Amino acid sequence: MKPKVAFFDFTGCEGCQLDALNLEGEELLDLLNAVDIVNFREVKTEREDSYDIAFVEGSITRESEIPRLQKIRNQAKVVVALGACACIGGINCLKNHLPMEDALRIVYGEDAKYYDTIPARPADAVIPVDYHVRGCPPTTAELLKVIKALLLGKKPDIPSYPVCVECKMAGNVCVFERGMTCLGPVIRAGCGAICVTSGWHCWGCRGLVEDPNVDSEKDILQKYGLTVEQVVEKFKIFNTYAEVTK
Amino acid sequence: MQENSVLIVDDEPIVRESIRDWLKDAGYQVATAETGEEALEMVEKQDFSVMVLDLRLPGKTGITVLKEVKTQRPWIKSIIITAYPSAETTAEATKLGAIDYLIKPVAPDDLERLVRETLSAVGREPTVTTEVEIRPKPPVVEVVEVKKAFVITKDSLKSMVEGLAKEREVVGVKSRHGKYVYDRIASFEELCLDYDVTVMSPTKYLLPAKETLLRFKIGDEPEVEPVIEASPRAIIGVHPYDIKAIELLDEAFMTTNPDPNYIARRQNTIIIGADCLNPSPKSFAPSMGTYLTETGFDLLLTNIGADYMITVGSEKGADLLAKYAQVREPSGDEVAKQKAVRDEALAKYELSLNVPRERLPKLLEESYDDPYWESRSETCLSCGSCVMVCPTCFCFDVQDEVVLNLKDGERLRQWDGCVLVDFAKVATGENFRHDKASRFRHRIYRKGKYILERYGKVGCVGCGRCATACLAEIASPLEAFNAIAESVQAKEAAMRTIREVKPETELYAPRLAEVVKIDELTPNEKVFEFRFKDGKELGHRPGQFVEVSIMGTGESPISVSSSPTKDGTFQLAVRNVGNVTNALHALERGAMVGIRGPFGNGFPLEALDGRDVLLIAGGIGLFPLRSLVQYILDRRSSFGKVILLFGARSPAERLFLDELDLWSRSPEIEFQETVDKGDESWKGNVGVITTLIPKVDIDPGKTMAVVVGPPIMYRFVIGELKKKGLADENIILSLERRMKCGVGKCGHCQINGVYVCQEGPVFTLAQLRNLREAV
Repeated sequence: MKPKVAFFDFTGCEGCQLDALNLEGEELLDLLNAVDIVNFREVKTEREDSYDIAFVEGSITRESEIPRLQKIRNQAKVVVALGACACIGGINCLKNHLPMEDALRIVYGEDAKYYDTIPARPADAVIPVDYHVRGCPPTTAELLKVIKALLLGKKPDIPSYPVCVECKMAGNVCVFERGMTCLGPVIRAGCGAICVTSGWHCWGCRGLVEDPNVDSEKDILQKYGLTVEQVVEKFKIFNTYAEVTK
Repeated sequence: MQENSVLIVDDEPIVRESIRDWLKDAGYQVATAETGEEALEMVEKQDFSVMVLDLRLPGKTGITVLKEVKTQRPWIKSIIITAYPSAETTAEATKLGAIDYLIKPVAPDDLERLVRETLSAVGREPTVTTEVEIRPKPPVVEVVEVKKAFVITKDSLKSMVEGLAKEREVVGVKSRHGKYVYDRIASFEELCLDYDVTVMSPTKYLLPAKETLLRFKIGDEPEVEPVIEASPRAIIGVHPYDIKAIELLDEAFMTTNPDPNYIARRQNTIIIGADCLNPSPKSFAPSMGTYLTETGFDLLLTNIGADYMITVGSEKGADLLAKYAQVREPSGDEVAKQKAVRDEALAKYELSLNVPRERLPKLLEESYDDPYWESRSETCLSCGSCVMVCPTCFCFDVQDEVVLNLKDGERLRQWDGCVLVDFAKVATGENFRHDKASRFRHRIYRKGKYILERYGKVGCVGCGRCATACLAEIASPLEAFNAIAESVQAKEAAMRTIREVKPETELYAPRLAEVVKIDELTPNEKVFEFRFKDGKELGHRPGQFVEVSIMGTGESPISVSSSPTKDGTFQLAVRNVGNVTNALHALERGAMVGIRGPFGNGFPLEALDGRDVLLIAGGIGLFPLRSLVQYILDRRSSFGKVILLFGARSPAERLFLDELDLWSRSPEIEFQETVDKGDESWKGNVGVITTLIPKVDIDPGKTMAVVVGPPIMYRFVIGELKKKGLADENIILSLERRMKCGVGKCGHCQINGVYVCQEGPVFTLAQLRNLREAV
């Protein structure tokens, strides 16, 4: 029996689900041969309430999302957080720096009274999450890697080291040497340092490594000309929830 | 002698056997003896580096054993273990040369450490080698052997690169974002040969960031197929330090357990090096001996202005030149220019190691618990940049990747590094290097110690890439090496300060010794017998010297004339030639003089052991040689045939007449003498000492010759010995120099780079061949 896979979206842009579709024709067929996709709003309208592997996308920003996520947890054998919002809270957490009423007012104006909001949080702030497919957006390769590992019954080999490793493997000239600054030294790899390779710098979308030396990174950013405020802003974008800015 | 041989003497089986097992496990050659008698028998037959000795033994006591071993094999270092320590016995043992003692029950770690320290001290004693070991050695640039070199014009170089590009992929250095990278070269114009350093090293072409090792099919009976992918490639512009790094990789991947993937790539790769003429400010290649290279390349370019010098390093390189290039012989000016540009480049390096790199393994050994690792790694991001950019880092991870059909897959290896958090983490969750300090230290140890010890090649080539890549600015091994050197030196200085309260180890202050006997040898030469006031022994080897002080007059180096096998006293034979010796000659019995020493290496007793020995003394050369003659006669059974030749200028200048008489009648030694000029009473040989050599019958394969005499004698004696077929390694000479301080500081006795008082005064002829100033 093929495992049943379901995708659920919470607060986010649904770009992760879109990206999951970004498969070559043959790969997509192989995937569909390997699993039954029973729930995927971006793809199909039929829905089933029975599934083995649940991918949850988006962060949790409303009270009503909490019981919904809990129900998914109870139903699924494996829950995988998909994308930056589900894994680390992502950019939705920027609103956490404001009082919730202000956030509502800024977004909805006079209609604010019709909506509720809570400080944004990642999926594993609400339920236990088995695996993470990180990034904004996550790579198809990594999504498939996790699916294949689950199918083979093993833990996926997702790097625990920082972006610098893959950035060096890619042969890039260091962002700092090009007169910019970068979060790569404290952010999890797995993206292949795609932003730096494309001429940009690391924004931190895959989240901090375990036990990051944030103090040292902050010192380095300041040494390279950033003010304390700028350093904080740099971390805020994706990593507000990790409390590094506090 | 086994370099790490230990003899354990203890009557308690449990102590004896447990120590034996500990030391065996620690890698030593261990022998045991239950009694003093048994120990002495063993020492008679076999040499040891260290003896671990119980003092309370049935029969002969430990002290007796110590005394007898001292006469038999004075170089054996003894460590006393005792359950009954008393001030008297330990003082006596120390007097007899025991270097330390431990109280039972002995902690294995303490004993092992003590044995190790003792052995490293033993190891520092000079032994016979063809190269003189000089300590301390400044960081030196390796001598570049002159290889066949030509001049190639830039146009011809261009056509060679273009020719190569038709047969294989050509990679080289290009500019990117103001830095330099190795990449595929589309046209000659892209190629940069004048760069400082590249971001990544060219080793990525031999060990790519990611490569497939196997292809497999999953199933009940899995199918496995090795994958070896290599295509012909030329790497152009490789700097010498990177070439040295590739040589290390060759050692690691092509010798033990040869790696087929690496080998396939390596054999498909042509390396065209380029001398680094504009070093990176972070580089310290000269300190690591990697600034130039004479090996490891097929061709090597040196930019000498309008043209390039191109050195051929392999047949492959020679073939390439023949096939694609127009070259010509260099002019004298061009050869000089090559040397000049290299020298100019050398002068540009700003960083250097403050200790000789040979000392790094030992320094690191001693610095394992240094607080430096903890404090310096505080800002470490564990980001892996240092190991990723390092040309000598080659650790990797292996992972399987399957395709979605879940049937086919590949086993891949990709770069990994010991500074990354999970590098030493096992499946159970245990991380054997869980803190950044231990990871930081491990990396530096690999660079300075582990790799060198395992592969015999430097683990850091001084390229400076890690120092550039490290945002926290802590990665440079140079900085770590210099810091721990400073720390160890500070510790050593502190230890010296503690020792300085003991007067006998004062560097420049002599110990008082009493003249107990004076014999006149000739009107101008006397032999003095001394005993130290504190009752201690001199503890010398034959061939060593002491500095004799007459306070107010000065100090003079004098060879010891007696053998260490004589107990209690020592003798100095002195010709009255200068201020100090003149004052000495005026002394009477009971006078006190100052003695420092013994100094120098002495005769290589270990090398003489078991051999035939030809001893040749000219004039007062007999003074130092007599100590060896006595030593040999006291341990006669350890040597084969022993011949002594002695030459004096006249019968009146013959020395030690009683002993000459004794030797001439002894069946244990074949003795012949001559005088340059006879008189009426002289019935013996007349002629210079060289006339005796053709008369003796020696087996050049078994014989060591020891020659001591005036400098003029050496050249002629060497000539005669060479006629006898003796190898340079087997001709031993003792040199006379102006040894003022005896401790390798003042510089007076220096011969080229060698301090005679430290590495000499005894040298093999083979060693002296490399010392232009010597003979």
